[in-house]
Amino acid sequence: MDSPSLRELQQPLLESTECETPAQKPGRHELGSALREIAFAESLRGLQFLSPPLPSVSAGLGEPRPPDVEHPHRQQQQFSSLDDKPQFPGASAEFIDKLEFIQPNVISGIPIYRVMDRQGQIINPSEDPHLPKEKVLKLYKSMTLLNTMDRILYESQRQGRISFYMTNYGEEGTHVGSAAALDNTDLVFGQYREAGVLMYRDYPLELFMAQCYGNISDLGKGRQMPVHYGCKERHFVTISSPLATQIPQAVGAAYAAKRANANRVVICYFGEGAASEGDAHAGFNFAATLECPIIFFCRNNGYAISTPTSEQYRGDGIAARGPGYGIMSIRVDGNDVFAVYNATKEARRRAVAENQPFLIEAMTYRIGHHSTSDDSSAYRSVDEVNYWDKQDHPISRLRHYLLSQGWWDEEQEKAWRKQSRKKVMEAFEQAERKPKPNPNLLFSDVYQEMPAQLRKQQESLARHLQTYGEHYPLEHFDK
Amino acid sequence: GAEGHWRRFRGVGLARGFLHPSATVEDAAQRRQVAHFTFQPDPEPREYGQTQKMNLFQSVTSALDNSLAKDPTAVIFGEDVAFGGVFRCTVGLRDKYGKDRVFNTPLCEQGIVGFGIGIAVTGATAIAEIQFADYIFPAFDQIVNEAAKYRYRSGDLFNCGSLTIRSPWGCVGHGALYHSQSPEAFFAHCPGIKVVIPRSPFQAKGLLLSCIEDKNPCIFFEPKILYRAAAEQVPIEPYNIPLSQAEVIQEGSDVTLVAWGTQVHVIREVASMAKEKLGVSCEVIDLRTIIPWDVDTVCKSVIKTGRLLISHEAPLTGGFASEISSTVQEECFLNLEAPISRVCGYDTPFPHIFEPFYIPDKWKCYDALRKMINY
Repeated sequence: MDSPSLRELQQPLLESTECETPAQKPGRHELGSALREIAFAESLRGLQFLSPPLPSVSAGLGEPRPPDVEHPHRQQQQFSSLDDKPQFPGASAEFIDKLEFIQPNVISGIPIYRVMDRQGQIINPSEDPHLPKEKVLKLYKSMTLLNTMDRILYESQRQGRISFYMTNYGEEGTHVGSAAALDNTDLVFGQYREAGVLMYRDYPLELFMAQCYGNISDLGKGRQMPVHYGCKERHFVTISSPLATQIPQAVGAAYAAKRANANRVVICYFGEGAASEGDAHAGFNFAATLECPIIFFCRNNGYAISTPTSEQYRGDGIAARGPGYGIMSIRVDGNDVFAVYNATKEARRRAVAENQPFLIEAMTYRIGHHSTSDDSSAYRSVDEVNYWDKQDHPISRLRHYLLSQGWWDEEQEKAWRKQSRKKVMEAFEQAERKPKPNPNLLFSDVYQEMPAQLRKQQESLARHLQTYGEHYPLEHFDK
Repeated sequence: GAEGHWRRFRGVGLARGFLHPSATVEDAAQRRQVAHFTFQPDPEPREYGQTQKMNLFQSVTSALDNSLAKDPTAVIFGEDVAFGGVFRCTVGLRDKYGKDRVFNTPLCEQGIVGFGIGIAVTGATAIAEIQFADYIFPAFDQIVNEAAKYRYRSGDLFNCGSLTIRSPWGCVGHGALYHSQSPEAFFAHCPGIKVVIPRSPFQAKGLLLSCIEDKNPCIFFEPKILYRAAAEQVPIEPYNIPLSQAEVIQEGSDVTLVAWGTQVHVIREVASMAKEKLGVSCEVIDLRTIIPWDVDTVCKSVIKTGRLLISHEAPLTGGFASEISSTVQEECFLNLEAPISRVCGYDTPFPHIFEPFYIPDKWKCYDALRKMINY
């Protein structure tokens, strides 16, 4: 960007200084030759993002000029009254003289892109991303380590060791497939069921456990319920419980990345339930109008706690909403790590190159309960759950692929299961033994600096504990 | 022309004072009612260099101009800010700084604030405008559950301290339910944000610059009735007025009067009336920051005077005067000569035609003061 000189900028506005608009990165209507991986792009013939059916409203009209109170002599757009074409600023479309309502198509919805069949065999070889062995093994080990950690931490909640937990069973493919397609510095905004993204980015078991236990090693200083992870180093913004709030935030972060020419994408995960929130609508609309390099990644896992998708929406899922906002959209098989990978990779490339949002709806299934506070047998059959666990699981499908490549075998499987369980148990036992943070940390970070009134409250608690400390679990907390 | 931008005023009589620069507020007022306050400019500030006469919206523009000049990451966004804003606070900024820095968003307050939080999370400076404080409620979740808690819940790994939300606030003579609200009390109950309200152009620019530079998310409410009605000498260069510091704008010995925003000018006049009619000496305090608020300055004053009157347009019950009153009676109980008095709006939505009866005007404040003196 060619900035005006500092001196120019510092001239007060009241003296009406002129200023050039800074050079812009190519917008979506100026697709120059920014495509670097042309060979890879060409091979993705089967992978197609659904373009919004209508071209941008303002295409061809130029940027609408605001009515100018100050300078009435400025010309408005000239319109010809002899032309029978529609002149409405609100839509770029032809007239029709037949009364016809558009029927929403939910019977044959947007097709689901996949690379592997349920047995892990590549269907169309030209779609095989041909990932190197180390990378595929990393995908596999991330998913399985997550699965092992989930089992142990779920159990630890049942035993009263941690207060709460959420598993990721069945959705591991959505996490690692997408994480593997991003740069490590791409900013992640999650909802709460994306621990595999952190796992793929090598977030240590010790820190997962520390957050769940709220012990002195927790980077979050013990303030939030378990699974509310965050990591600045790994560019994973701390999770919050309210759903969908992260969506417009992710858009803002993407806008800032665009302005900074950071060549980064922001990825924003959410479930199909959260997509019903107003914040989701806000985020989609802002991303499209403000041309932000963002990937919206929707994990459609069939349930929002007990609410099935038939009670969540009546349209064709979340992918079908994208074109309504002017957003490139695709639906993928979320249990197919390579499909998720390919879609995310291409979305990332284009989002950054073209400064436009992409929507990926990853179809999957929530095999586990919503959380440790839920018993899903109350609203769905064991048979349904078993089908997904046994017949269409991202881990099994990738394992079949690994086996067929000769990159894995039963012995390595057994050894890895033992090793990963041992790693998890060690981290778990360590986390149990550590004390909780000092209760003074209850009061810090509300603001960057502690306000006087809050300091008084902190001192008041300290005095209270001096007298009544025996009634508080001080022995578990750092002194 | 400009009237096309006043969609929110559909059905309400349009204020000529807003739309036509040539008409003064005094002209408009005489047609219906006299304004309930008289803006009293502060003496010309000497310590910040060259000054220029600015009204409130111009002082806001000046602050925004200074911010965008100093901070290359700063951006301004919201509904209608691109052409200059419905109150002209952003006039000229898009031409000067470019359309990537001063831009319109879709009509969606929860999106505006959420988007602003996201910009701030990356460390860039986000200055969001909510067109009227009455419309801030869709963004309440993003402000209270997200912005305010971002630093705390992440253990200081992340924060959105570089977010500032600006919004026109308070009664305007004819705004009715949805163009007159003073919602500061809702946000006062939310640790993690700062809420700031200026009484004048000079205060506004210094406080707004402090909010923008503050490392915590801030809400800056701008008394819309003062946008044109308040004009005084304001420094052209940037300067800061500290947050969480109340200002004693007039010293006195018998009664402490506390208010913020437009109401400061009302209580200033009440102080004159008290002096003239009752021989009572009033200490007048502009609170300036609602949270975290300057307890020490207010308490120090009440310890001296023994009497406290707090006044705000927002409804009485749960209004911020109740917080001040409660704290002061805790800290200064034995110093009090009379119960603390609150002169506020009634517990009703803000009415249209009844506005002159609704607002806590100087006569109601004077009467409450008189009762306190005679207690």
